[in-house]
Amino acid sequence: MTKRNLLILIGLLLGTIAFPGIRSALAKPEPAPVEEVSPLHPTFALLDKNGENVLKSGEPLSTMQTCGQCHDTEFIQNHAFHSDLGLSDYAQDGEVNASSGTFGKWDPLTYRFLSQKGDERLDLSTAEWLMLNGSRVVGGGPAETSRAGKPLEDVKADSANPEASLLNPETGQAEAWDWDESGTMEMNCFLCHIDKPNYEARLEALESGQFELANTATLFNGGLVVQTEDGFKWNESAFQEDGEIGEDHVLIKDPTNENCAACHGEIHTDSSSPLTLRAGDLDTPQTATTGQVISAQKISESGVNLSGKAELNRSWDIHAERQLQCTDCHYALNNPARAGETQKVGPEHLLYDPRTLEISEYLERPDHNFARGQSAQYNVAPELKGTMRRCESCHDASKGHSDWLPYIDTHMAAVACETCHIPQLYAPAIQSYDWTVLTLDKGPVKAYRGVEGEPNEVTSLVTGYKPVLLNRTNIDGQQLLTPYNLITAYYWVYEDANGNTRPVRLLDLETAYFENDAYASDILSAFDANSNGILSDDELMIDSSAKEAAVKSKLIALGLENPRIEGLTQPYSINHNVTRGENAVNECKACHNDESRVSQPIKLVSYAPNGVLPAFDTANNVNASGEIVKSDNGAVYYNPVPANDEMYVFGSSRVRWIDWFGALMFAGTLVGVIGHGTLRYLSTRKRARAPKQTERVYMYESYRRFWHWLQTTSIVILLFTGLIIHRPDIFGVFSFRGVVTIHNVIAVILVVNALLSVFYHIATERVQEYIPRPYGFFDDAIVQAKYYISDIFKGEGHPFEKRPDSRMNPIQKVTYFGILNVLLPLQILTGVLMWGVQKWPGIANWFGGLPFLAPFHSLVAWTFAAFIVGHVYMTTTGATPLESIRGMVTGYEEVEVHEHVEEVNEKKEVQSEK
Amino acid sequence: MKKRLSTSSRRRFPFWTLGLLGIILVILVPVLYFLPRAKPSTNPADYLPQKAVHVDHADIVKGDFETGQDVTRACLECHEDAATQVMGTTHWTWESKAFDVPWRDEPVTIGKANQINNFCISAQGNQKSCMSCHIGYGWQEDVPYDYENAYNVDCLACHADMAQYGKGNYGEPSESVDLLAAARSVRAPTRENCGACHFDGGGGNGVKHGDLDESLYFPSENNDVHMGGQLDMQCTDCHWTNEHQILGRMLTDNYTIDPGEQVSCEQCHVNQQHEDERINTHLAAIACQTCHVPALALEDPTKVFWDWSQAGQDGRVDDHFTYLKIKGEFVYDKNFAPTYLWFNGNNEYRYLLGDKIDPNAVTYINKPAGNIDDLSAKIFPFKLHVAKQPYDAVNNYILAPITAGADGFWTNFDWNNAFELAEDRMGLPYSGSYDFAETYMYWPTTHMVQPSENALQCDACHGADGLLDWEALGYPGDPVEWGGRDK
Repeated sequence: MTKRNLLILIGLLLGTIAFPGIRSALAKPEPAPVEEVSPLHPTFALLDKNGENVLKSGEPLSTMQTCGQCHDTEFIQNHAFHSDLGLSDYAQDGEVNASSGTFGKWDPLTYRFLSQKGDERLDLSTAEWLMLNGSRVVGGGPAETSRAGKPLEDVKADSANPEASLLNPETGQAEAWDWDESGTMEMNCFLCHIDKPNYEARLEALESGQFELANTATLFNGGLVVQTEDGFKWNESAFQEDGEIGEDHVLIKDPTNENCAACHGEIHTDSSSPLTLRAGDLDTPQTATTGQVISAQKISESGVNLSGKAELNRSWDIHAERQLQCTDCHYALNNPARAGETQKVGPEHLLYDPRTLEISEYLERPDHNFARGQSAQYNVAPELKGTMRRCESCHDASKGHSDWLPYIDTHMAAVACETCHIPQLYAPAIQSYDWTVLTLDKGPVKAYRGVEGEPNEVTSLVTGYKPVLLNRTNIDGQQLLTPYNLITAYYWVYEDANGNTRPVRLLDLETAYFENDAYASDILSAFDANSNGILSDDELMIDSSAKEAAVKSKLIALGLENPRIEGLTQPYSINHNVTRGENAVNECKACHNDESRVSQPIKLVSYAPNGVLPAFDTANNVNASGEIVKSDNGAVYYNPVPANDEMYVFGSSRVRWIDWFGALMFAGTLVGVIGHGTLRYLSTRKRARAPKQTERVYMYESYRRFWHWLQTTSIVILLFTGLIIHRPDIFGVFSFRGVVTIHNVIAVILVVNALLSVFYHIATERVQEYIPRPYGFFDDAIVQAKYYISDIFKGEGHPFEKRPDSRMNPIQKVTYFGILNVLLPLQILTGVLMWGVQKWPGIANWFGGLPFLAPFHSLVAWTFAAFIVGHVYMTTTGATPLESIRGMVTGYEEVEVHEHVEEVNEKKEVQSEK
Repeated sequence: MKKRLSTSSRRRFPFWTLGLLGIILVILVPVLYFLPRAKPSTNPADYLPQKAVHVDHADIVKGDFETGQDVTRACLECHEDAATQVMGTTHWTWESKAFDVPWRDEPVTIGKANQINNFCISAQGNQKSCMSCHIGYGWQEDVPYDYENAYNVDCLACHADMAQYGKGNYGEPSESVDLLAAARSVRAPTRENCGACHFDGGGGNGVKHGDLDESLYFPSENNDVHMGGQLDMQCTDCHWTNEHQILGRMLTDNYTIDPGEQVSCEQCHVNQQHEDERINTHLAAIACQTCHVPALALEDPTKVFWDWSQAGQDGRVDDHFTYLKIKGEFVYDKNFAPTYLWFNGNNEYRYLLGDKIDPNAVTYINKPAGNIDDLSAKIFPFKLHVAKQPYDAVNNYILAPITAGADGFWTNFDWNNAFELAEDRMGLPYSGSYDFAETYMYWPTTHMVQPSENALQCDACHGADGLLDWEALGYPGDPVEWGGRDK
């Protein structure tokens, strides 16, 4: 067990037990947790932005100055992508997205577009961006600095500059915004570093444009400052004589899950009260976009109206259950306690460099670039991707799966941990937003997956959903199958005066659709099919060119050039809500089956506005190699195609023409031998029975027989188990894992058997018997063939004598040579490479990897199957139908007594003369 | 290659069969060796005791029975040793075996016959009511009980169908009982027999133990997974009985307990391993009951506080759950979490009559033994019952009043009188002045085992809202962060 390093500021003291006999863990509600005073952090004065004590100036405080008394706030602000949000990458190049962060990347879900300099129309200015997104903006970065890197206060108020203006929704005009008046928002330390930040007051301040007040508002009514009618007042009694805050008010601590949840997603830490959700709320984006909920509570004890809830006896998220905090994986990159994980460079021989920061150095300049993953949507600070702990940092997959999963390495090289350990999400997630139309509350038509009915209504049934599996390219180049939710957004775009494509502004859409808060009459006439004056869910969609034209014309009338509908499908990563044991996928047939998880489609939208199919967002590390198809009922689906990712999943993937061809070979051989045999039978009935002269010969020595029958049994079992592996949907009764084990074990037996036999034959030089003599080969083969085609029906003897030292006729020789020396080695080679595809990836890939090896293996298998049919039939051509088989069992065979060939010809001549 | 003509007509051994056998072995042995095998699991049901086949006594038992002793006489005609066996058990003697305790020079015994608790306090002198739960007939207050009289053993209490039998004053059969019908109905004991006394201890349903009450007559699976649902186990399925020696010892009436005499989960759940490795790492420090009995008194409330000092007030309405004039004020609770202590199976102290107390501090009637450094101790759930009961203000020891007995407190509500009457019986001089002191008694929680789905989860103990007071248990802090006790 790792010891927590004391350098992390001490968290809450553990609550003490109440009087044990009375306290109820289950029935009575928890007492409200008391804010704990930090035992280590010293008291400090609160300073305003000029460095003066707020008690003197009465001004709002400045976090940079206040916390900057001991911590290097400049450093912190410059090393915090939470604060930067894409500002440092901001570059206008005519594209819709000017950066990869929230500041500059257009999110079709929130829809408002941060206007770029020179844009024809103003949508979101920086000030309004801050008002709208403020609840989730930490401060600093774009909240303080302009796109050119200057302080925002220095940017003159100018209605033409999106950095210093504001769109007036009433008039539709841009108005100037004076940053000097509103102030800017510094990075707000309190959001994460105190227990109960006043989110509501802060939001109020932001939405009213009082940016400088926001950080102070975070402390409202927490003891230090009180909100008043006309502003606020510092509470002098909370301060000491020397102007520093009282010891009881030092509430600084390191971030807990609640702090992170305020912006990121739904968590639920109170185990005694049932969890409830606000589904689809973009203020908790992780939950809204993927349905991830971080809670230790058992799903069966939650208050969600969830289908099958009683059986879901697992926690929402197992890491939350095991008491992990967000910061355990998303830690500060220069935290000395985590130095072992973050060290990358150094001499080859060095495992670990202990020369890390001292605690005091770290506390002075903590790097607020937190360790982060490689999720699809959050691409700010891409140089830091993959720095956080992943599953393999803590878990050893080879030990954890060793008692049940075969081919652990192969699985881990193709499939990410999340695929099996997050098989299902149990909360609703957004499926699509249709911004091509507007509902009466000026929003898009929203669709959710995982819920029947409206997501936040108590009567709706939450069913949860299974995420789609897509290939993700990690920063180390590895491609793994990972679960995602796909969210599709449809919206109007237009060409602006500069030739740039821009999304149509919400303001313009509203103008097009509404007149005095009701739908405009021409919109109504275009959409209202049953003319009842109300646009129902079925009517409010653009499903005809007429409707599209109606809206288009209105947009054109507003001066928007070339308005058109576009659709974008974006993947959202799923990494939380991990489970274990029987709740994870542990059934082979979940993927190794006809209906495989790997190829399971996911619905994108229930209808495509005017038939426009969405494009898959490529600005991420997801390889969407599947197809976006429209089904018959108009819904659009994404179908993964594993073959396009060069994935071959046994039991699920197959090459159809090989199966058809192989089956044809097999069936053809079967038909052939049945026909031939029938003819032979019929011909013997007509013919007079002339007993052939036979002699008993010791034809096959014991080793040969042993080898032959072991080979037979092995091949038959291999064929049978191989068929089950290839089509587990037909042979569902067998355990996939068991059958794979049997196939592998028997394959080894076959290889050993074959190798010993090769050694035997070479050592005894009996291998010569298998090699057809080239001289006269074709003549002899034709003679033999003629025998089978016509002479056999006449009851004639075999053209070639069967002697212990010459047991095989030419056709046999060439057949066996091909089988034993060509096909069998190929089958073994492909089989071994399939088994060891992770051990020798270079060799396997040189051959084309599994997508080539596996179908080839199947084809040769079909050939073997056909061979067995033919071979068994041919053994009936001995003196009596079963004699040859008897010979191969006992060793002794009654063979036809053969006169010399020349004697036969003489006889014929004599006979013909007669 | 020579041709070998075999002309012999001798029957030869068909050697090809040996080859066939060889092939079968070469195939089967590796396959069976490598085939994935299910882990062998022990089925706890395999360890359930085999019960004797029930013999219907309807035609065997004959005759008129006037008294309970008559019935016993009839039983002993065939079951000759039964009474002797019973007389060797604590159900009969109401006293434990002798213990050497450090605070006394002589060995002591502990039991209802001679010690006190913090519920109804003392059975001595109150035999009229209390002995309705003794498995014998006629134990009276003034006459020493004849422990050697085999006919005093009450066979019916454990063996009769409880629809036919009940016990009344001094342990005699109730007036309305038809002894013949009761005697004919005998069979192996069921929960009804055991529960008739053990569910109603302390003066009512569920008062005393917290994990034993009348809801266990017909429990659901969620109430008790062993006694409820399909399993419907009887008490004797865990409290294995051999020749009337019943497995299981009550902590409160013992000083040390020999593990061989105590019931444990491992009797049936042999070498229990959980599928989750992390849970298995808890087994050395946490008892099974801690996680699997998460709450006490699931359906019927149990008494958690009893204030004798309020007894005897006039003008208050009697209510079973809050106040009774004869008993005082109480607090009941239902479906609550137990108290958790280190426990190695023994008491470290058990209050004996005459032990001095400090009236300003808590007096432990029994105190479970164990601490974090004792490797045989595990964290175990207890029901804590707190009481304020009378003590001698001059002599500083707990007093055992006559309550139910003749002229006792329940008759005339006079404490002094009750103590004086008790003087002779207890051998404890009464100084004449009394007061009330706070006492604690710990009752182990082991019944009302929940199905495994309802067992405590990680966050029940670990994390911010955890149930356990880590520092009180001796840990520096939450073991999730600080490590367990063996680190």
